[in-house]
Amino acid sequence: MIWNISWKNVWRNKSRSLIVICAVTLGTVSGVFVAGLMKGWVDQRIHAAIYTEASHIKIQNPEYLNNEELKHTIPNYEEIENYLNNSDEVKDWTKHAKIVAMASTSRGNTALTLKGIDPVEEKSISDIYDFIIEDAGDYFESGFKNPIVISEKTADQLRLINYIISQELIDSLKQLGADEKLMASLSTIQDQRFITEKKFKAELESMLKPKQIKDYGAYIMKLAKNYKIRSKVRFTFTDIHGDMVQKSFRVCGIYKTYNTMFDQMNAFVKIDDINAIAGLQESDYHEITTILNNDSDESVKSFRDNLNKKFPQANIMTWKELAPDAGMMSDFMTIYYYIIMGVIFFALAFGIINTMLMAVLERIKELGMLMAIGMNKKRVFNMIMLETIFLTLVGSIAGMVIGGALIGIFGHFGLNFSTVQEGFEAFGWSAMVYPTIETSFFLGVTLMVIIVAIISSIIPARKALQLNPVEAIRT
Amino acid sequence: MNVIEINNLTKIYNESEVKVKAVDNVSLQFEQGEFAAIVGPSGSGKTTLLNMIGGLDKSTEGDIVVDGVKIGELKSSKLIDFRLRNIGFVFQAYNLIPVLTAKENVEFIMELQGKSRVERDERSIALLSAVGLGERVNARPAKLSGGQQQRVAVARALASKPKFVLADEPTANLDSKSTETLLDIMEQLNKEENITFIFSTHDQRVVNKARRVITVEDGHVVSDERRA
Repeated sequence: MIWNISWKNVWRNKSRSLIVICAVTLGTVSGVFVAGLMKGWVDQRIHAAIYTEASHIKIQNPEYLNNEELKHTIPNYEEIENYLNNSDEVKDWTKHAKIVAMASTSRGNTALTLKGIDPVEEKSISDIYDFIIEDAGDYFESGFKNPIVISEKTADQLRLINYIISQELIDSLKQLGADEKLMASLSTIQDQRFITEKKFKAELESMLKPKQIKDYGAYIMKLAKNYKIRSKVRFTFTDIHGDMVQKSFRVCGIYKTYNTMFDQMNAFVKIDDINAIAGLQESDYHEITTILNNDSDESVKSFRDNLNKKFPQANIMTWKELAPDAGMMSDFMTIYYYIIMGVIFFALAFGIINTMLMAVLERIKELGMLMAIGMNKKRVFNMIMLETIFLTLVGSIAGMVIGGALIGIFGHFGLNFSTVQEGFEAFGWSAMVYPTIETSFFLGVTLMVIIVAIISSIIPARKALQLNPVEAIRT
Repeated sequence: MNVIEINNLTKIYNESEVKVKAVDNVSLQFEQGEFAAIVGPSGSGKTTLLNMIGGLDKSTEGDIVVDGVKIGELKSSKLIDFRLRNIGFVFQAYNLIPVLTAKENVEFIMELQGKSRVERDERSIALLSAVGLGERVNARPAKLSGGQQQRVAVARALASKPKFVLADEPTANLDSKSTETLLDIMEQLNKEENITFIFSTHDQRVVNKARRVITVEDGHVVSDERRA
């Protein structure tokens, strides 16, 4: 009956209760959606940290960490290889040779790490092949000699991207319904090659009107971009004996991940193409990357500890140690979600307290009667507490449903923060976010709501408990 | 047998340095099955006396013994439980819970007592039928007239099977017809079920029905008349 009274009391003053319920709903929607957005980002970052950058476990020569010289290869490689091949915990693994090199073309140069990989094995460990840009080559599928996959950032630094207004571009603009003046303007620079994005942009800005740039600028930039696949890039590096050597590779594909720093630092070649010239022997590798069957923290740590015991001379690190930013986010993100919800509910608690105080003050006579006929303090407290819980829970359930639906919709279609893409990618975050949330989060929020409601009910309930039945009935 | 014994009861209010004796050295006894009215002008102390009998107010001196229990010595929580199990209240302004139906209002006190759903259901319907509201069990207070609400309040007061019912000006807000109906119902319950009713009132219609009339003036009992 107390549950019944409490529930019905919520709806006594519908407009007042609905205002609080709406506030709680909005607060919950915001909290749930922000948490979902952050989780979407973090999940993408963790996925990138494992499947693009680090893998679950990386094995290296401890010396290599301090000095990236070619001679610091993995000790006892065959034993480790044998162990990994026979371990049930390992899903896939592969090895890399890594060479710090200076890359140069006739127009530009940059320093980076050449990663010698087995493209077939690598596909089972890393998803770099998924990041090959459309119309920018392929992942070692072309048949030519000495292929290399470089990032768009590297291609830009080596001036391997240029911009051309082609007839195809003009035709596609025509199909989009662009006006004749725009196409006439673009025709004046048709087939002219711009070697930097900056120069091409400047040219467009000088010849097009702001509205034309606003409507078609991004589209023109995208279609005019031309990657110089098959271009030759010369690499200079020190071989295992300390001698300077040079080798040329042809660009077979250009990739772009969400992590500018990673892109800037890594280019991929076939391991056989660099081993000989670098003076590396068969079994000379600088790192082994592994993907485990069970990706839980405990499992990854336990596997690392086992490897450490068996191969104490090797340096073995988990993805959390290799990408501490992602590791930290993985460890603390759940706490952050609850901090966000906590702050929102803390603010809402003042509104809830105020509403419940008003509800108590306008029912003084009734509360006095209840106490007079024999309702004890515990029951009075419970009634007010339940009323507060119902009031808060209705709003938060509505908020969780709406927030969950929004996460479902945006989780499917994604949310594009392209206006701040560069800033995001500088930190390894994707500008395209797919919000997601775990069911357990909703359970946690429900528990928080109940706790907040109980705390919020203390002041109004105390007010009720302080009433003198005789005086209360007289009011 | 005495249900209530009041011995040398005094209540003094300390209001702005002036001591007011609302009840002054009153001693009374009530037997099971009495239908008594405490009458007197406004400010005479009859409501204060009734509140003290009901354990809602503490006396300054003297004591009240209900069924062998000195209620003045009970701790707050025990006193609330004592009221729940021994005393029925009818208030001037009905004081029903507006969000509950008539039946739920009657059932509520039984739920506080921990009675089973079946017992609550049967007794609430029986009591509402006894006060002539068998057809309105599912009506909320707002849909009932003042007289009907007060009858629900009487049913509620009786729901807990109290040793006695205290009614503070129960007819003050009712018209003549409703007053007559209500008094007839209470008189009938008093005679048939031997329930003790004590009213505080200055309504002559109530006084006419009462079989004992206690007149209070300035906190003193000035007369205690028993009628046949």
